[in-house]
Amino acid sequence: MNMELLIWHDGSNWVVKNERLTLSAPTLEELDVEVERFLRGSGMLREGETAEVFMTFDNSTIPQWIRQYAQHYFNRVLEVRG
Amino acid sequence: MEEKHDESRKEAASGSLTGTALEAEDVLAGAEPWEPVETKLVVWSLLIAAAALIIGLLVVPTSILHTP
Amino acid sequence: MADLSNRRWYSGMLTQEDWWAVWLGVGFFFISLFNLAGVDLVGWITYPTKWVLYPPEGGKGAVSHAFYALGKKYSVTAKGFYKGLGWWSVLWTYVVFTIATCIGAAFMRWNLKRFFTGWTIIYFLTIATWFVGHHAFIAANKINMKQYGLNFALSLGGGGSFILALIVGLIIGNFFKPFANYLSEAAKPEWYIKTAIVTLGVKLGYLPIKLSGFSHKLGKEAASLTFDLFVAGAAATIVAYLIFWPGVYVISRKLFKLPRKTAAVLGSGISICGVSAAVATGGAVRAKPVVSIMVSALVVVWAVIELVILPGFFTHVWPGTNDPLVAGAAMGMSVKTDGADAAAGELMDEFMRNKIESETDGAVIWPSGIITASAVMTKVWIDMFIGIWAFVLALVWVYKFERRAGEKVPVSEVWHRFPKFVIGYFFCWFFLLALYFGPGQSGAVEAMPFLKSVKAGAVPIEKGMRKLFFMLTFLSLGIITDFKKLKEAQFGKMVWVYFVALFFFIIPVAIVIAYLFHHGMQIPNIAGFVQ
Repeated sequence: MNMELLIWHDGSNWVVKNERLTLSAPTLEELDVEVERFLRGSGMLREGETAEVFMTFDNSTIPQWIRQYAQHYFNRVLEVRG
Repeated sequence: MEEKHDESRKEAASGSLTGTALEAEDVLAGAEPWEPVETKLVVWSLLIAAAALIIGLLVVPTSILHTP
Repeated sequence: MADLSNRRWYSGMLTQEDWWAVWLGVGFFFISLFNLAGVDLVGWITYPTKWVLYPPEGGKGAVSHAFYALGKKYSVTAKGFYKGLGWWSVLWTYVVFTIATCIGAAFMRWNLKRFFTGWTIIYFLTIATWFVGHHAFIAANKINMKQYGLNFALSLGGGGSFILALIVGLIIGNFFKPFANYLSEAAKPEWYIKTAIVTLGVKLGYLPIKLSGFSHKLGKEAASLTFDLFVAGAAATIVAYLIFWPGVYVISRKLFKLPRKTAAVLGSGISICGVSAAVATGGAVRAKPVVSIMVSALVVVWAVIELVILPGFFTHVWPGTNDPLVAGAAMGMSVKTDGADAAAGELMDEFMRNKIESETDGAVIWPSGIITASAVMTKVWIDMFIGIWAFVLALVWVYKFERRAGEKVPVSEVWHRFPKFVIGYFFCWFFLLALYFGPGQSGAVEAMPFLKSVKAGAVPIEKGMRKLFFMLTFLSLGIITDFKKLKEAQFGKMVWVYFVALFFFIIPVAIVIAYLFHHGMQIPNIAGFVQ
């Protein structure tokens, strides 16, 4: 299964969000654990299955004056095995 | 959460040169010890630069090797 | 509303400045090509000329002619109409570019009302400084000052206007901060310079066409010079880049004891293309955005300091007019941000051309824009390379340092970080080259009427639109630069890392590498044809 999330940093935590979930954690490692826990807990990820989570950075949280110089922060992919 | 997201955006749109609401204290402090993989990164970068320099000087027609 | 402009490879095409630089530059370039069908739709673009309050009898410089529509000189089909525009061309230019930029601003979801008023103020301030900067006392040189009834002139050429625009911008940015903040919606130096760089592509493609109007041989020389710059710029950039980055990284880590991610972001910000590199690297190493934001804030201020110091230094101290293209290439590698670099290159272009003309009593005249092109060429290569370097760093950080289970770095990151305006730059350049080598028959006499039509369209873009967008860049750069930021405590030792790395490492290395690849490259002399 595939899932898409929006990711940004709110000053203290990394946050991911889509229409079904909002999760946050101070580091990406902890965030990934939260995502994994959600996938397993919600039953979206069955045993033996692999989920691909695509995270798109929300550019609107980068100061507007910087966006003219660089239009991309990062997108990341997380693979979670069930 | 949504409030903080909005806050990040509002801060971002302000056009100010520094992100005043952002936490900056850990940017300068807490240097990790130097690791061998860093040496590798630096050395490889310089080695590729040296190789590119030699090839470049030989290949590029305007390089100093071809200038009378 | 969330900004998902990098969700898919195409999703930012209507919402990013980078793409809008392409649409503006390429759009007006295509409009200019209507000249091939006998319709001149770009001759209204305004351009200043030197003036004095009291021109000598039979001399030049009436204030009433201080601005003219470029079609007056270059149009093939509507010369008479454009001749009549005079100062009105300033308003025509305002109306057309206001519509074009406002469409861009609307698509980018900016505050349109604030953009419109900010743009209007910035545009007319630009025109005012452009006018003042073209007073013959500032712009004339010893070869032509007598025509204006002067016994002395500063010989700054168009450079005087650039300096004035920067000064006016800096005064606003540093002493009238609420006003600067209000203008910030429209003070977009990177958008303007990227648009100007796309039109510089028109300039590069037009250069052989222009010079073939003087002689067939000169045209071919110009075409081969632009290719040489392309190749030499690529080689110099890759070498410099791979020396700069590890150097600054080691300085930051070992000398200033900075954390790994901060050192990586600083390494890119100081050594490569400034803000865009700092943001690209910050994302690649998964740093909190604040690291890139802080480094970026420093970069823009230091870049303006470089812009103030380096053009004069390279022109008058070393390498001077002996090696103008070494200076240009070194500029591209040492001045951060496209805006400050292209602006510094353009300023030096004016300084150098006026210097050589004065030094040789008019025996040597260089066509404009080649030195600028050399400064932009290295920068364009750097801009393209940062995407690849950031990808390498992402691999090192994700797979070697942090090793988060399951995380993958998508290859599409290289495309998302690719500077899209470069596509417009190369497109315009190669399109015109294709016209030159194809139907233009490399400048053969039979093809001259065709090339003249191309010229009628190209000149207003490569000269009028390009210089206007350069002027807008200088003014906007000043407006968004607040020197007080350097004193802010939170930057701490970053300011010093920047100073040490830039002046004792980056600039010297840039000069050496530029010398190795560009030493001895000559700019064609057009003195015999323009006088």
